[in-house]
Amino acid sequence: MISAGTFHVITTELTIGMFALAGIAFLLCAIQKGPISRESVAHWALLGGLIATPFAIVSGVNAVSGDGIENPMLANKLLLSMASAGLAVGILLRRMWGGEVDIRHSSLGMISVALMLITAGMGGEYSRGETLLFFIPKETVMLFPLWASIALLVVGLAIFSKSAIQHRS
Amino acid sequence: MRIKVAIVLLLMILSTTISTANPGGKGDSIRSRDCAGSCHGSSSTNGVSGAELDIQYQNEVYASLLTEVQTSVSFAEVSSNNMVGLTLLVNTDGAKDLPANDGWEVITDPNGGTNNYVEIVDSFSLESMVTQTWILRAPTTPGEYTLYLGIQHGTPDGGIAMTGISDVRQVTVSEIPENLPRLSEDWEPVNSRGLGDETEITLKTVNTDSAVVELKSGGEIITIPVVEDKFTIPAAVNAGTVQWRVILDGEGPTQTSPWFRLTAQEPGWEVNEFALYMQGFALFVLCAAAVLLQNSNNSRPEKSKYDNASEIDSQFGQMQQESAVPALEHNSVAPLPEGGLPAGWTMEQWEYYGHEYASEINKGGY
Repeated sequence: MISAGTFHVITTELTIGMFALAGIAFLLCAIQKGPISRESVAHWALLGGLIATPFAIVSGVNAVSGDGIENPMLANKLLLSMASAGLAVGILLRRMWGGEVDIRHSSLGMISVALMLITAGMGGEYSRGETLLFFIPKETVMLFPLWASIALLVVGLAIFSKSAIQHRS
Repeated sequence: MRIKVAIVLLLMILSTTISTANPGGKGDSIRSRDCAGSCHGSSSTNGVSGAELDIQYQNEVYASLLTEVQTSVSFAEVSSNNMVGLTLLVNTDGAKDLPANDGWEVITDPNGGTNNYVEIVDSFSLESMVTQTWILRAPTTPGEYTLYLGIQHGTPDGGIAMTGISDVRQVTVSEIPENLPRLSEDWEPVNSRGLGDETEITLKTVNTDSAVVELKSGGEIITIPVVEDKFTIPAAVNAGTVQWRVILDGEGPTQTSPWFRLTAQEPGWEVNEFALYMQGFALFVLCAAAVLLQNSNNSRPEKSKYDNASEIDSQFGQMQQESAVPALEHNSVAPLPEGGLPAGWTMEQWEYYGHEYASEINKGGY
């Protein structure tokens, strides 16, 4: 058996590799350059990264010593990776429902990738104490009160349902 | 273009530096020598540390009892963050070399934990000697044992991971004299506490008539009475470490315990995990929904300058209109002959081919 730490390294490399590939392909989509396959590459790579993400999160939580989240960096990692995964799911659903890969779509894809790469950068700082993203504040956690999170969740679900109904009709 | 890209990639590769060090450390842990601080690189790429390493221990080490071990590092030329990894080992094999393999137990490491590998940030230099204290519980079986101190650190230019190991130190673990006043074998010291809290410690002693605790705070030593095997260490105002030891009197020779360290820590960062997970889930749903919102707002794509589909549609529509009139004429059904449908014909066939039949009849055919 391999330890959770080693498994975390495997899954994060899968996640980050695929997200990085998706990011480059979305950049090509945004500037309308490069091979025709860029759209397919962007979305399939994003899907691959998205599939690996839950494994990376779970193995990361198991690899951390101590009980629970005891470091603001870990909390920020959780929030950023969830936001990134949400954007990625939205992008894939939008494409699946026939949305056009325009500059806005590509930009959202690149934002999703950027959030995931920042998450990985934080992981590097947490485990090795150094990162290229030293200029990003990581010790401050913007934690909403519970009611605000529930309100956001309700708003999100309402928009999601509306979009799904519109797509069906 | 390809050559330019290749040149850029080549320059990027050539501009990298070869580094096998972990400048930020890997965290205190229980580690074998091979993995102590340099798991990420082949040991063949490591350099040899020039640091002088030494281990000092108490004159009498009794089986199963606590003992103090001091390790010192001199002449260490380290990286700019002054971090050094120290490993307490029982052999140099690189495997089965943990103190636990010989029956030792790390009760307190120099950082207040219970690990055999610790990362120390101190004023390491070619001119200084840095000393650390470990509290160990000796093996239960008397005999001759060996201890080594391993070291890992970076270099001032940050390139290579340096490793080293001390000379062997032989430790004789003796049988406990029968009437020796001592701390019980199942007693362990408290290593940490919060700020502002008094700490009451309960001792478990054997063959002891009386005990006195000495508390070292700064340069001063304060004596604290032990009442019914209990004593209290005053609360700490700031984060830091106090040291204490107990002097045990009984029928046997007076015994003095090692200096135990009690570290006062600021309370760690705390978060309502349910609220955090809920916020994470809300962000997930909200971000996905925000993207899908773009879909419904942007359902009519912007027209590209190369998009001439509407032009083609209009031309196609015009052509259909032009061909519609003759088609209608063509589609009108020919009047049936006087005798009704020709033999073997269906009405459907007549609708389509009736005109041809009628014209053939008119020409004198059939």
